[in-house]
Amino acid sequence: MVRRPPNLLILAVVFLVALAATITFGYRASQHARRLRLENEPIRAWMSVPFIAHTHHVPPEILYQAIGVEPHPHDRRPLRAIARAQNRPAAAVIRDLENALARAGHTHPAPPAGKGP
Amino acid sequence: MREWVLAALSQYGSPALFAVMMVASIGVPLPVTLLLIVTGSLISLGVMNLWWAIGVAIAGSVLGDQIGYAIGRWGGTALVSRFGAARGASGRLAKAEAQMRRWGGLGVFFSRWLVSPLGPWFNFASGIAEYPWARFVFWDVAGEVVDTAICLGLGYVFSDRVQALDAALGDFTWAAVALLAAVWLGWKLWKALRSH
Repeated sequence: MVRRPPNLLILAVVFLVALAATITFGYRASQHARRLRLENEPIRAWMSVPFIAHTHHVPPEILYQAIGVEPHPHDRRPLRAIARAQNRPAAAVIRDLENALARAGHTHPAPPAGKGP
Repeated sequence: MREWVLAALSQYGSPALFAVMMVASIGVPLPVTLLLIVTGSLISLGVMNLWWAIGVAIAGSVLGDQIGYAIGRWGGTALVSRFGAARGASGRLAKAEAQMRRWGGLGVFFSRWLVSPLGPWFNFASGIAEYPWARFVFWDVAGEVVDTAICLGLGYVFSDRVQALDAALGDFTWAAVALLAAVWLGWKLWKALRSH
């Protein structure tokens, strides 16, 4: 049996690792691409109310009402700024918005494939 | 950091976009892909202007890339020649510089968008190898235009799915980096096996 030098073995192992990483990340990318059609966006503290209304396809007034804020036509404040102004944690504002979306029938509905936007 | 960067974009718009793109291009790990996707979404909402956002994003990135190149050229060269010479690596350095001059343009172009995690490293390497500045600027601007167009365009089209899109693009980029590494390692392996 021909004995391979250690450098060659290391090269072969690193090559296989790179190949495995290519397959893993490629598979994960395809899974995320599937989610594009199936799930609504989770609400984050960096989002503004009009942005959340846009991503969930609801009128912003519903969301403003849920958190007790006067609707603003050009409101760019992120939720964390609104929460700070209301002197409460951003998680509480997010919870109120999620409840409002649930009442409006927009709780991550996961539409069947082929019927998405 | 991610929340802070996106909150700044949401609240301040273009100045935040410019600052984050510039700092990230120097090498600070910031979520620039998500930032550009969200910018595309904000454009579709009518909150930001399309052409202004494109200009600001490209200007910030290119400025950051120039800073990275300058650091490599005036800081990195001195460092490499001092420690490289001490370790007797001048031959390998000369070879690396020759390779950079030959393939540097394509490297700079593709590291702006296809294998973007390598972008800041290519900036430093281009500076260290003294890759001609005018050519660096040409490939840099071309790559940043492609990157900005892809991310803003996807953000505009999938404006209500920005987080899932960012996750998909992130994994796609790492898959591209891993594939590039696999091709290069496979070639080295094949050459080594043939020589035995």
